[in-house]
Amino acid sequence: MAGMYRLSAPFGAWIDRGKPVAFTFEGKHIEGFEGDTIASALLANGQTMISRSFKYHRPRSALTMAGQDSNTLVQVGDEPNCLADKRRIEPGLKIEGQNYVGSFEDDKGRFTELVERFLPVGFYYKSFHEKKSSWTAWEPIIRRMAGLGKADLEADFHHSYYDKQYLFADVAVIGGGPAGMAAALSAAEGGAEVVLVDEGAEIGGSLWYARFNVDGTHGSLTRAELESAIEAKRNIHVLNEAVCTGLFADNWLPVIKGNRLHKLRAKSVVVATGSIEQPAVFRNNDLPGVMFASAAQRLVRLYGVRPGSRAIILAANDDGYGAALEMLDAGISVAAIVDLRRAVPANEMTQAVRRAGIDVIAGHAIKEALAGPGKMRITGAVAAPIAGDGKLGDGGRSLDCDLILMAVGYSPAAHLLHHAGTKFAYDEASHMYRPETLPPHVFAAGSVNQAYALDAALADGKRAGWLAARDAGHAGGAEPAAPVDLGCEGVTHPWPIFPHEKGMDFVDFDEDLKYKDLINGIADGYDNVELLKRYSTVGMGPSQGKHSAVAAVRIVARETGESLHRMSVTTQRPPYTPEKFGHMAGRVFEPERRTAMHHRHLELGAQMMPAGLWWRPAFYGSKSERDKTIREEVQAVRTCVGLIDVSTLGGLDVRGPDAAEFLNRMYTFAYAKQQVGRCRYVLMTDNAGVITDDGVAVRFHDEHFYVTATTSGVDAVYRQMLWWNAQWRLDVDVANVTAAYAGVNIAGPKSREIMKRVCSGVDLSAAAFPYMGAAIAEVAGIPARIMRVGFVGELGYEVHVPASQGEALWDALMAAGGLEGIRPFGVEAQRVLRLEKGHIIVSQDTDGLTSVWEADMAWAVAKSKPFFVGGRSAEIQARKPLTRKLVGFTLANDSDPCPEECHLVLKGEEIVGRVTSAVRSPSLNKVVGLAYVHPSDGEPGKLFDIKIDGGRRIKGVVTKYPFYDPDNKRQEM
Amino acid sequence: MASLTNLDPATLKRRSFIYRKLAAAGAEFAELNGGAVAMRYPARAESEAVTARRMGLADLSVLPHGGFKGRGTVEWLTAQGLAIGADSNKAYAQSGGELAARLAPTEIFLLDSLQGTGHLIGKLNATWQWSPSGPRPQQGYPMPRQDSHAWFMATGEKSAEMFSKICGVDLRPRHCPVGTIAQTSVAKMNAIVIRADLGGTLAYHLLADIASAEYLWTCMEDAVAEYDGRIVGLAALRSLQS
Amino acid sequence: MKIMNCPLNGPRNISEFAWGGEVKPMPDPGSLDDRAWGDWLFLENNEAGVVREWWCHVPTSFWFIAERNTVTDEIVKTYPASDIFKERVNFAPPSKTSGTEKK
Repeated sequence: MAGMYRLSAPFGAWIDRGKPVAFTFEGKHIEGFEGDTIASALLANGQTMISRSFKYHRPRSALTMAGQDSNTLVQVGDEPNCLADKRRIEPGLKIEGQNYVGSFEDDKGRFTELVERFLPVGFYYKSFHEKKSSWTAWEPIIRRMAGLGKADLEADFHHSYYDKQYLFADVAVIGGGPAGMAAALSAAEGGAEVVLVDEGAEIGGSLWYARFNVDGTHGSLTRAELESAIEAKRNIHVLNEAVCTGLFADNWLPVIKGNRLHKLRAKSVVVATGSIEQPAVFRNNDLPGVMFASAAQRLVRLYGVRPGSRAIILAANDDGYGAALEMLDAGISVAAIVDLRRAVPANEMTQAVRRAGIDVIAGHAIKEALAGPGKMRITGAVAAPIAGDGKLGDGGRSLDCDLILMAVGYSPAAHLLHHAGTKFAYDEASHMYRPETLPPHVFAAGSVNQAYALDAALADGKRAGWLAARDAGHAGGAEPAAPVDLGCEGVTHPWPIFPHEKGMDFVDFDEDLKYKDLINGIADGYDNVELLKRYSTVGMGPSQGKHSAVAAVRIVARETGESLHRMSVTTQRPPYTPEKFGHMAGRVFEPERRTAMHHRHLELGAQMMPAGLWWRPAFYGSKSERDKTIREEVQAVRTCVGLIDVSTLGGLDVRGPDAAEFLNRMYTFAYAKQQVGRCRYVLMTDNAGVITDDGVAVRFHDEHFYVTATTSGVDAVYRQMLWWNAQWRLDVDVANVTAAYAGVNIAGPKSREIMKRVCSGVDLSAAAFPYMGAAIAEVAGIPARIMRVGFVGELGYEVHVPASQGEALWDALMAAGGLEGIRPFGVEAQRVLRLEKGHIIVSQDTDGLTSVWEADMAWAVAKSKPFFVGGRSAEIQARKPLTRKLVGFTLANDSDPCPEECHLVLKGEEIVGRVTSAVRSPSLNKVVGLAYVHPSDGEPGKLFDIKIDGGRRIKGVVTKYPFYDPDNKRQEM
Repeated sequence: MASLTNLDPATLKRRSFIYRKLAAAGAEFAELNGGAVAMRYPARAESEAVTARRMGLADLSVLPHGGFKGRGTVEWLTAQGLAIGADSNKAYAQSGGELAARLAPTEIFLLDSLQGTGHLIGKLNATWQWSPSGPRPQQGYPMPRQDSHAWFMATGEKSAEMFSKICGVDLRPRHCPVGTIAQTSVAKMNAIVIRADLGGTLAYHLLADIASAEYLWTCMEDAVAEYDGRIVGLAALRSLQS
Repeated sequence: MKIMNCPLNGPRNISEFAWGGEVKPMPDPGSLDDRAWGDWLFLENNEAGVVREWWCHVPTSFWFIAERNTVTDEIVKTYPASDIFKERVNFAPPSKTSGTEKK
């Protein structure tokens, strides 16, 4: 049998005794069974200490057995901070403890406890409030202490497969306990499609382990009945071992199951998340052996593990008595029930306990738990009479025990309701917060909604399921009645807090916060619970206040004299449990765009570079020969012929009777009289007169313009065009055909010869097809839009063909140009070539403020149009003095280094502009560039200061551009 | 693997953006519409039709597809004999097995039948022309859909569940009757999904930016793997129809 | 994640949409003085309450109008832009007196 603390069947409903599973913990060989969690397998083998606490490195063990606490965080292989009471064991897992110095058993870090007075509450506030130098002293210590677990990125680290999946439901029921099961059935009976989400290995919640009647049969019978009814419903989809971590707008529910994040969208939601058992505060309440009664019951019933041999039960409700009977059944002796209540109600359960001979000590609390050296396990407890709220009288008894079960109350697991903006009210009768006003399409059922008695929970679930189904458009039968008696009174004690003069009475286990820490924080002036949270970090650890938030509110209320009615627990925000980055990342969905010729570029050895979502060739050759290669590519275009893939250029078909009128409104130039078969520059400004895009409009028909736009700008241009015409209602249709056309620019003095070889249906002579001419013809048998435009300033043709034939076009031109030695060139060479010609690149040479006047592009503005976008603002700008001007420049001393983009232009000590582009031109063998300068320095020949790297100033000379072929003879050949 | 008689897609002008991936997966190509379509994968142990009924993925990008858009589109197409209903985001089956997908009141995306003859789309493209100046009929404008959109098909009983991993629209059969169009986001790309069952087999057309075809195909291969899904050829899809 | 109802495509995750600013039809630029034009261009009402906004369904590039409560973030209703913008907009040819200041 795997483990000496195992119980035999029927205990251990979730483990399969026929399937042993072996793993290691701290190098030790451990055997458990399939279905075990790490914690249950360790406890079954007597490994009590599972983790060490954050600040004082105190030994910790299972507290909830429900994944709600951080007492059992372990390192599983390369994954830190796994919840040992939730994570199932698998063969071969290598598990390590966390947060220790030296060895797990003999942790040097545990001596921090001895110096605890040097780590006061609000440590960071106090230490770093005034003296900056104190950080230098503390930093190495804090860095060593902070953080949990090891993220070892070098040793055997691998990305696991995480993904996401949408799920849809009419009604989502979160929580598969009795209320959730009843709600799912009720909603499904109304015809709704239901998704039932539960954290457990199997649905059933407390029906699996809680004692609802003396002989303990009621829970399992009820569960079996509900489960078979749910199985029979085809419209209930059960997601078990799944946790819903948030409730977002319009019922968007992230549900994590394994490595998958489900994105569940439901018309309505039933929150049946139950309640979370709350701890009592006493000295050493954190040590191994102290746990919730529900945790012990889970260990016994679900995993068949005996959590101890002699128990004391600290009770303030009847559930503690059920737990006592449960322990007896499991062969654990019960030394006593210490009951906070002065009078124990006489009912079946309490009487059964008395009949069993268990000593009930009423009106008492546990003053402290006792522990041996190393505090690895409790050895006893001291019970003392309660003299008043939180005060213990003299006397008391020492009792031997190795297990203390806390059953002093609950708090609703209301996280999802908080996320949805539910308001809560403090209920004086039940001493708990209850949901007051629920948001639309959200319903609550079961103990989260104060229905504690089993019958009440079932009735409440039935009611909420019916309401949720109706809300989702599925109503059947009469509305079920709400439960009359919720059974919420007498389950939660209003003050289970018994501070000890020697401390170690923990309110927050995650952050190692003691009662006194909170009192001191309040005394420091942080007397509001939200402020105290941030100052003391109460509720800020991994369990996010599941066990400390209510206690913190009670303490603040008492210290300030404020009523609990007027307070609320600190806001609970998503996620309900920690989420992994893997869950949030899922699969990598980062679309990228490739042109039709992409693989040809790779075959030619291109270095690819991103341009928006596109990939473009930067240059063709090895990275080590970058500069040389770019120079050669430039040379090829200037002296012979080059070929560049321009498929990424934006393309818009603007068609209709109002096409020219539309372009007149969208662009600064005039298009009404543009001839068919001709190209014209387009420059776009926004309403504020700022340059936003440019390109070329080709008129292929009176009613058809093919307009190019920049690679990165075309989607915005297209969207703007549709937006404007949604208002103008012109008879024009705009289509974004960017991806539909692959394109190349074949440029260089020999380009015409090659084109002649492959073109048909067009006369390419200079007279018939001049610069800025355009035609529709065939290139290598492929239908093509041909334009004589060019960024690079040589004779050249831009050829746009259907994208699916783009690779064939590339192949044909490369083959046809073999004789001339056609050379592919990339974006880098193109940038040099265009700068030699002084062509601007919008968004490199312009910014978010550049006007047409600053860019010296008055030539592109039509003066006599009724309207264009930005025209009114441009007209106002024209009347105001310029503050800067874009000019071409060379260097006064060409042996100075070539400036870089964004090097500052200074006038005296004042920054007046910046360099936007600069390169050492291979064709001219000198530095040429564009820069913003002071308007008074805007004329050719003026000198201005450029501040280059290292703070040195060099002189630029304003120079007329184009720098290369100023009369544009070459492109017009 | 590939036989000597197998057609090399690079010998034809029209090429799917993912032909290299199909060839690497062992496709046998056939010429259709001036391009090479992956017809079958001969090395498979399992019948491709069986795969396609469970979870199949096919590339139909070279098959004829086209469309018209702009004022008068639906009136003109109706005058050419197409049957187009009033609702947008519905695909209307034509007599030759083609689909006229109404993306908007004035926008039709045309998909040829799996025979890929191109009869209807070819006829419409040839008939449409710029009218002479003067008063003109409203007839919409042709759209280069053949080249703007890659055309994939996802088939089989698991296809709806597969889509739920990459698409936020509820495409489950009960909520998405045959002919339903979803213009939405698939794997973070703008895409058009059309339910178009093949015989009794659940199936969806997927149309998206041709330039991202390789990216999307990779995402789809990843998404179908969970359901033991595989690439299938056009022949298998045709066999499901009969 | 919120849901928005697109008049063309129906209810969708709001991640499929792009916000396009408040609906504030452009006044005739020729009939406004510089200050009034600047005010229209740069000043927003930033109202707390129901406002009319442009939204674009990105997969279809479909622009429409949504009425949204900026206090509660509730989307009250959505409809096509043509419900408001019904007529063709024309601009008068520029007159010599356009603008209030002479060049």
